[in-house]
Amino acid sequence: MRRRTIIRRASVGLFATALALGIIVGCGMNETSAALGPEPASLGVLSARESNEAVTGGAQLWAQNCNRCHNYRAPASLSDQQWKIVLHHMRVRANLTAKEHREILRFLQAAN
Amino acid sequence: MDSKRTHTLIVVAALAAVVSGAAAQEAPKAPVSRAEYEKLRREVDDLKAQLATRPTIQPDQGVQPTRDALEETRMRLDALESLTADFKTSDSGFLMAGFASAGYTDSEDENSTFSAGFSPVFLWQFNDRLLFEAELEFGLESVDGEGETEVELEYANGSYLLNDYITVGAGKFLTPFGMFGERLHPTWINKLPNMPFPYMHHGGIAPMTSLGAFVRGGIPLGEAKGNYSLYISNGPSLETEGHHPGTLSFENFDDANDNKALGGRIGFLPISSLELGYSFQFADVDASTFDQDVDSFIQGFDVSYVREYDAIRGVIDVRFEWVFSDVDDAVFFDEDHGEFFTFDNTRHGGYAQLAYRPTQVDIDFVKNLEVVGRYDWLDVGSGVPDDDKERWAIGLNYWLTNSSVIKLSYQQTDVDNQDETGAFLAQFAIGF
Ligand code: HEC
Repeated sequence: MRRRTIIRRASVGLFATALALGIIVGCGMNETSAALGPEPASLGVLSARESNEAVTGGAQLWAQNCNRCHNYRAPASLSDQQWKIVLHHMRVRANLTAKEHREILRFLQAAN
Repeated sequence: MDSKRTHTLIVVAALAAVVSGAAAQEAPKAPVSRAEYEKLRREVDDLKAQLATRPTIQPDQGVQPTRDALEETRMRLDALESLTADFKTSDSGFLMAGFASAGYTDSEDENSTFSAGFSPVFLWQFNDRLLFEAELEFGLESVDGEGETEVELEYANGSYLLNDYITVGAGKFLTPFGMFGERLHPTWINKLPNMPFPYMHHGGIAPMTSLGAFVRGGIPLGEAKGNYSLYISNGPSLETEGHHPGTLSFENFDDANDNKALGGRIGFLPISSLELGYSFQFADVDASTFDQDVDSFIQGFDVSYVREYDAIRGVIDVRFEWVFSDVDDAVFFDEDHGEFFTFDNTRHGGYAQLAYRPTQVDIDFVKNLEVVGRYDWLDVGSGVPDDDKERWAIGLNYWLTNSSVIKLSYQQTDVDNQDETGAFLAQFAIGF
């Protein structure tokens, strides 16, 4: 077998193994099953105090994360729906944690 | 006290009141007749009977069934909501973002020129987990004196949030290698009008975009934080002719020799303002012209530190990146001299950049100013038919908004065996 083929198979194999391992381990230690943390339905029953805390936490996470690569973008510059899309984009681009994604989004949607 | 007794008492008390009231009123008249007495007794008996047939209610018994019913309704609602979640139109959304720029370069060794670029970004969020992103890059290029508009599909990929820690995706994506390509290259983010040497389109050594699949995510590590990106893509091909023989071309869209590249980056943030990254890409190279077995191994190290300091009343932004590329020796053909040649194909390059913006100064004009300094370099192994180069640049930026900026810079470039050249650059960039 040619060396090239071996290397190709090895890389594909390694990538697939890493993915499989990641999925197994990741699903095992998932804090919550939903991508955005708590199930959307349970967001509705957060007490006022809980959601205030989330917004405060979100403000801090926003301050810590959203100027690491570029200037802060003004919360008022986008609508709730637009922030939802942008935060998803940034979650992927900046490898944000699920908690950062969830809480920063809640903060921006409250602050815009 | 149970409710049955309460009811009885109330009724008896009411009756007593009625009877005594009646008695009081009729006191002056004759005492109650037999008929009246019988009538009243019957009424009391009727009332007692009515009370006895009423279901007895325990205090908790009334609440519990209501709670159960509420719980069941809630569960049904949850189930319904999760069923419809994937079909809700309000969940999917489209957003157009991107950036545009206009520039001017006046260099000692070339004609001064204007330039322009436009890079729309399209984002479709299908649901909470699925996102599609695409960027088109429109640029202007002069080919043999003819003006041409260049259009490139910079990236187009879909990604899926598998769980809290894993996102998978495929398509053409900005390569998660190092820092500049994936995070800093948009003109509204880059603090200078041009790109550092390791990331240049021609002669650069770091991959900017890849065609393949990726896995990535962020992981909380207590107070600290980690993140990872891993990708597999069409492998690079080797430039065997042209100005930069031996460099890798990462734009290998049909993967001519079936080679694949495996790469990734691990990032670590001990505190939120500091990130350290290590990147690698291992690939079998397509050196199609001579059917040679050539491997390449590229590594990168990056540091970024962004923090606001009260003492200096502003934000400090420090970036450092170093890329090392090692490509197996290959045989090249020199058409001018009609002979074969080879060389030790190692290169490394990087940049160090420092920027300061006095965000806490009360004067608006000053607050929007930013000074930047950058040193970048690219060194090639001895015998590589390319020259070492280094460059100093200083810049002054004026931020019109958070994502629109006017940049002015002066740079001094030193290429081995050539005179030093200075250049003045100006750029207007906007992110939307
Ligand atoms: C790891 C670097 C990085 C971090 C951290 C980051 N961004 Fe971004 N952001 C980018 C890049 C790069 C782009 C440009 C995307 C493009 O043009 O491909 C961008 C674009 C944007 C845009 C323009 C719209 C879009 O989606 O392209 C907004 C708004 C934005 N970021 C907001 C944020 C917010 C809010 C945060 C904090 C959660 C954040 N960014 C954190 C790198 C980052």
